Amino acid sequence: MGGSADWPTVSQTPQTQPNLEREKCVFEARNISKAFGDLQVLQDVSFWIPEGEFLCLVGPNGAGKSTLLKILLGLLEPDTGHVRVHGKGGREAIDSHTVGYVPQRKHFHPSFPARVEELVAANLRGRWPVRIRAGEKAKVEAVLERVGAAELWGKAITDLSGGEMQRVFLARALVTEPTLLVLDEPEAGVDVMGRAELIDMLYEVSCSDVLAAILVSHHPETIARTAERVLYLDGRVIAWGLPDELLGHAYLPAIGDPRLKSTRYDDEQR
Amino acid sequence: MDWLTEPLSQAFMIRAMICGAMVGGLCAAIGVFVVQRGMSFIGDGLAHAAFGGIALGLLLDVSTNAATWVALPFTVLVALGIGWVLRSGRLGGDVATGVFFSVSFALGVLFIGLRPPDRPMVNIESILFGSILAIGEQDLIVVGIVAGVTTLVLLGTWTRLAYATFDPALAKLSGVPVAALDYMLLALTAVVIVVSVKTVGIVLVSSFIVIPAATAGLLARSLTRMTLGAVLMGVLGSALGLFASYHLNVASGATIILTLGLGFLIALAIKR
Repeated sequence: MGGSADWPTVSQTPQTQPNLEREKCVFEARNISKAFGDLQVLQDVSFWIPEGEFLCLVGPNGAGKSTLLKILLGLLEPDTGHVRVHGKGGREAIDSHTVGYVPQRKHFHPSFPARVEELVAANLRGRWPVRIRAGEKAKVEAVLERVGAAELWGKAITDLSGGEMQRVFLARALVTEPTLLVLDEPEAGVDVMGRAELIDMLYEVSCSDVLAAILVSHHPETIARTAERVLYLDGRVIAWGLPDELLGHAYLPAIGDPRLKSTRYDDEQR
Repeated sequence: MDWLTEPLSQAFMIRAMICGAMVGGLCAAIGVFVVQRGMSFIGDGLAHAAFGGIALGLLLDVSTNAATWVALPFTVLVALGIGWVLRSGRLGGDVATGVFFSVSFALGVLFIGLRPPDRPMVNIESILFGSILAIGEQDLIVVGIVAGVTTLVLLGTWTRLAYATFDPALAKLSGVPVAALDYMLLALTAVVIVVSVKTVGIVLVSSFIVIPAATAGLLARSLTRMTLGAVLMGVLGSALGLFASYHLNVASGATIILTLGLGFLIALAIKR
């Protein structure tokens, strides 16, 4: 936290938020609060994501990031507030065709005999496939190709490496062509080599003009390369602005390394 | 061929064969989902709960056969109770099952102790270890109806049940009614266990649920094949076990389970 004395406090830092008058809102969380017993995990959290924006959700452990993700996926009810996808609320607004989800922990039983294409097709169909239909085959092949996992067709899920697993789960999330992608610490369990590839892939995804995304991450290089906006959460929204406004900010412990700068536009400038 | 035809010349053996095959296939089909969800212990738990239900029936002065009809709702309620505790997230599945299992069994012992002394003696051994050779036509009809209904329900829900088994959160996001399917699977498991108890008994019935599914799981590369393999093993294991018990003149329930156990060991050896 070197040089923190020279830094303005978070409240003094400029924070540029998306302009809803000019941009089309894909996702909106309004006044979300959630407590577990006496523990207030989220308090009055409000934010929105315009079409095509890649939002990095950061914050220390226990900041309520996972709880917020569960609420926005409809897996948990908030105590107060609501979420809306394309202006619609309730159960019918959030499904696998509007929201693609890449979970952090893969909960499946290690002996479940699932193959890569079955997992991807299951999301397309909303049911576990007994066999892959011709129309599904083309879509599954195309999305596996897109994430660089075409050669994994036919492989058992349990035989995949950490990096391969994340690519397959990313393909699974993208196959329904959702307008919002939710990624919960996709680097978890991926080795250094795999992580570099994964970050490249996430960067590709972040370049879409249509697909909005929320990425939860603890990895500075992922955030620096992919974020188009950063939301810093610690039970409530502490800061919400452009990467260069917040990355490396000494008052934001999880991303507080002063050397941390956004690199996402380096490619475009090359 | 005498070894094959001689047992089948006896009516009780034919009934036992049909019943064993149906129970074996049925338990195996349910077992695929139970095993994949890491809930193998629940077969044991519900079998012991069934004992509580049968004992309650006996206390209410119905015959051992008719006690099945008391055991059915009793065991289904226990299963739904376990499901409710599981879903509340306060306890792990093993703890919930362990508590319900021992309390139901203790209730069973209490109920039998409370029976007036002038009532006829109950053959506890046949409840604990089964009596497949004593299966009557009525028992066959009951098992047949349960097998038919369970097969239809499983066929109708298989793809969604499989998705919810793979990952409940992802399935829920895809619109699969995960909670309803969880309760359905538990209730179905309870019903299948209660009607299977007469065949292999309370102590051994969970092997019918676990062993064929675990064996098929070792060898199959897809859930469809695993299900078909488990059902085939349940049916064949019952038939082979029955033949073996007839010729060796030993307890049939135990021989069936040992046959299934042998199959598991062979699969384990092939896998390695």
